[in-house]
Amino acid sequence: MTHRWVALPLCVFLILVSACSDKSNIEPDADEPAYFKIDPNTAGMIAGNVIFKGKRPAPKIVDMDQDPQCAELHQQSVYDDPVSVGSEGSLANAFVWIKQGLDDKKFEPPTDPMVIDQKGCWFGPRVLGLQVGQTFKVLNSDPVTHNIHPLAEINREWNQSQSPGAEPLIRKFSRPEVMIRVKCNIHNWMHAWIGVVDHPYFAVTGPDGAFQLNNVPPGKYTIEVWHEVLGRKEEQITLVRAGRSETIIEFKGE
Amino acid sequence: MSKRVFIVLMAALLGVSCTGADDAYPIGDPVVIETPLGLPEVPVPKDSPLTADLIALGRRLFNEVRLSSDNTVSCASCHNPALHFADGLAVAKGIGGQLGTRNTPTVLNAAYSVAQFWDGRAATLERQAGIPITAANEMNQSHEACVTKLSADEEYKAAFEKAFGPGPITMSRIEKALAAFERTLLSGNSAFDLYKYAGNKNALSEAAIRGLQVFTDRNKGNCATCHVIGETYALFTDGKFHNLGVGMNSSGELTDMGRFNHSGVKSDRGTFRTPSLRNVAKTAPYMHDGSLKTLPEVIAFYMGGGNSNPQLDVEIRPLMLSAQDRNDLLAFLDALTGDIPSGEELHGRKR
Ligand code: HEC
Ligand code: HEC
Repeated sequence: MTHRWVALPLCVFLILVSACSDKSNIEPDADEPAYFKIDPNTAGMIAGNVIFKGKRPAPKIVDMDQDPQCAELHQQSVYDDPVSVGSEGSLANAFVWIKQGLDDKKFEPPTDPMVIDQKGCWFGPRVLGLQVGQTFKVLNSDPVTHNIHPLAEINREWNQSQSPGAEPLIRKFSRPEVMIRVKCNIHNWMHAWIGVVDHPYFAVTGPDGAFQLNNVPPGKYTIEVWHEVLGRKEEQITLVRAGRSETIIEFKGE
Repeated sequence: MSKRVFIVLMAALLGVSCTGADDAYPIGDPVVIETPLGLPEVPVPKDSPLTADLIALGRRLFNEVRLSSDNTVSCASCHNPALHFADGLAVAKGIGGQLGTRNTPTVLNAAYSVAQFWDGRAATLERQAGIPITAANEMNQSHEACVTKLSADEEYKAAFEKAFGPGPITMSRIEKALAAFERTLLSGNSAFDLYKYAGNKNALSEAAIRGLQVFTDRNKGNCATCHVIGETYALFTDGKFHNLGVGMNSSGELTDMGRFNHSGVKSDRGTFRTPSLRNVAKTAPYMHDGSLKTLPEVIAFYMGGGNSNPQLDVEIRPLMLSAQDRNDLLAFLDALTGDIPSGEELHGRKR
């Protein structure tokens, strides 16, 4: 008799525990929210340029000797150039996003994936943006094994091995996190950064240092620019109906 | 307790503890199997001593295609002696070319395993032997059909009676014979064994000696923590079950829960028995799902720290290995290729 009284709550408990943890490997799906509809007649654009002034750190030669198969993929030396500055100081690989001002508007994640490729024992692109819930696709185009490891702190941290010719990995991030450092557990010179944002207003600057955030509803915003070496900068912006805001964000070197 | 009651009781107990054991006790003088250098004495169950007739019968059954429903597949089809008793495939191919879900392990040295199969679901070689026969994608034949087919063959009837004495062919006799034969499939005497257990310091190359160092150093390869090397012999396994994150799909979910499938214990999710590494250079591809094609890929997999998941073993973490460390480790794994049993290892010595 006594046995049964112990067994029943125990069973219930065990069922609960296993039910709760069953999907421990899968990011929880948020409830389908009511998505914000952008009004094309009032939406505007936040554009700008990110520039760097001062002495930039010299690019460093990457030593791939630890994996000769990687070294063999390159005819010439590979340079790691985190502060990549073009003509007139244009700064590439800066991540720009609206940090504040969208209140609690919810935006539908785009259906096309963001792709990162491991090629030449190097991540491409080095900096990429992703919307919460958007597919993150990881390719291995190399003849060597990689083990991609996003060192997420707010999202779940994970790492996964990809042999040569292995299928792409398909993942999602469930929470905003700017930025997540990504490394390869096997090749310590490989770095990338992912910005996960819960709306579509983010961009990564190209060699011309320019960015454009399109279809932004009118309002007052804080935009943030992040750079892996130079840090973060904020800028207040007011966007009028169907307006266009131009801004220059400047980082200074030594 | 009267004597009668006692006997009845004992008989009942025996009946319970060895259901199906019927009269499958081998007759004839037990033989001793020569222990190759680097291995311990092969364990033999009390109720099935090894005899020459039993082993010979087991060898024959191992190659017997009539154990499969369409007479095309034998144990040796997948555990091919020419391929170090494995099949060289990622996952096993059974009757009608059907694919399984797991990689075929070699049966060399299986006699030493604490439990059979990647997930250890069969406790003994005897228990294991009946399972592939009925598996729909392997041999796909009922045990009754096996017995009927073999019983129709006078030669088999004679061979079974020679091994077990008078009586019908039974599944239990078939299993014991197969298991007995497998206990002779021992492979040792590798370059590593000569170096480590015979004091032949020239048996290993410089690279392989450094590789042994990488293999055992907890701060380098940390391999020997699970692939154990003992003082007097090496099985290259701790006989335990570990989760390395092998068999993860592109969304990061484990596709085979391994030991958890039959233990139901949560911490067993995705765990598999540490395989021996003897002859490993000859038994590609690797891992329970055959997902890693080469040994360099296996080493790179370990360098990356496996695939993260809630049950990942604490001993699996990213490794810092130089290009030379990797080459040395490879040279060491190559030095684990041993002698293949020729069938002459029966000593004929009486116990
Ligand atoms: C279709 C291919 C196939 C056939 C036929 C086959 N096996 Fe296997 N064998 C396998 C695979 C695959 C495994 C591993 C399965 C698992 O772990 O779930 C295995 C596992 C084993 C093991 C355990 C080895 C270990 O290290 O865990 C033994 C022993 C064995 N087989 C013996 C036999 C015998 C005896 C027969 C014939 C009666 C046989 N096999 C027929 C594919 C085959
Ligand atoms: C935590 C215990 C553990 C450690 C440490 C470990 N292994 Fe393993 N090894 C295993 C297990 C368990 C498997 C089977 C995993 C699976 O298939 O899911 C395995 C599989 C292998 C295989 C494939 C064998 C085959 O027949 O498919 C090789 C080769 C191997 N290990 C080599 C190594 C080397 C080299 C190291 C050190 C760099 C190492 N292992 C460290 C437990 C371990």
